Amino acid sequence: MAKKRGGFEKKSKAASEIPTASMADIAFLLLIFFMVSTTFRREQPRHLSFPRAQATQKIDERRRNILHVWIEPSGDVYINDARIPMEQVGEVVLPLYRESDRRLLVSLRGDRDVPYRFINSVTEELRSANAVRVFFHTDLESRLTRERR
Amino acid sequence: MALLNRKSKVSDEIPTASMADIAFLLLIFFLTTTVFEEEKGLPIVLPEASAIEQAVSQKNIIHFLVQQDGAVVIRRGESQAEQVVAYSEIEGIMRQEIANNPSIIAAVKTDPDSPYRHMINVLDELQKANAERISLQLWER
Repeated sequence: MAKKRGGFEKKSKAASEIPTASMADIAFLLLIFFMVSTTFRREQPRHLSFPRAQATQKIDERRRNILHVWIEPSGDVYINDARIPMEQVGEVVLPLYRESDRRLLVSLRGDRDVPYRFINSVTEELRSANAVRVFFHTDLESRLTRERR
Repeated sequence: MALLNRKSKVSDEIPTASMADIAFLLLIFFLTTTVFEEEKGLPIVLPEASAIEQAVSQKNIIHFLVQQDGAVVIRRGESQAEQVVAYSEIEGIMRQEIANNPSIIAAVKTDPDSPYRHMINVLDELQKANAERISLQLWER
């Protein structure tokens, strides 16, 4: 009897609502995860003004395969925050090139006023290290903002 | 008595119902505001150190001589005739040259004391003209 009567009145005990009490915890966990896992390049930015070019392309390459080579207007070369004498650039790049499984892409970041002889010396050094894939870092120049030259 | 029994109607708990919303707002804010420095530039592949120097017929070369003040002179292989050009003309000239001779090599020779940006201006024009065969050299006189 009791069974029969209860048949209609029985209610599902499962809650029909999604529990939201722990939502905040999940969100904060995600937040903390992203904050911790974001690694920034440990390199001091050098304040150079790069040349501008209309043909500037976005480079699709994994960040860890990209090596920045900074060339100051005075001709000083910096790699990973260390000043490298010009004739040692090849020796410094070679192990990095091997480490990257020969996929190293060199970003040549020269100031727009660097005398060309220094750029040429750097590219010669890179060639000696076999790092032949390079790109000259430039800022995009739109037709509208194009300076008169 | 009535005074003693009265309870404060202000809840003594911090409302946590909107905590999730706050957290997600923060999350979305950081996701959208984080800009990664993008890598951009003019790509070029340097010749390998072991590459043997090949003699190239002069008629397959067009020289772009970049002078110290940024002036550009074109010297065509065979004739040795020189022509002063503006940067804006280079793209058109190069397209023309490629159409005439697809295996033409653009040799950019830059004065050692010329600022780097002048070379980039020429390289920019050449890449806009879809030149594939570009050689970068120091102009030693």
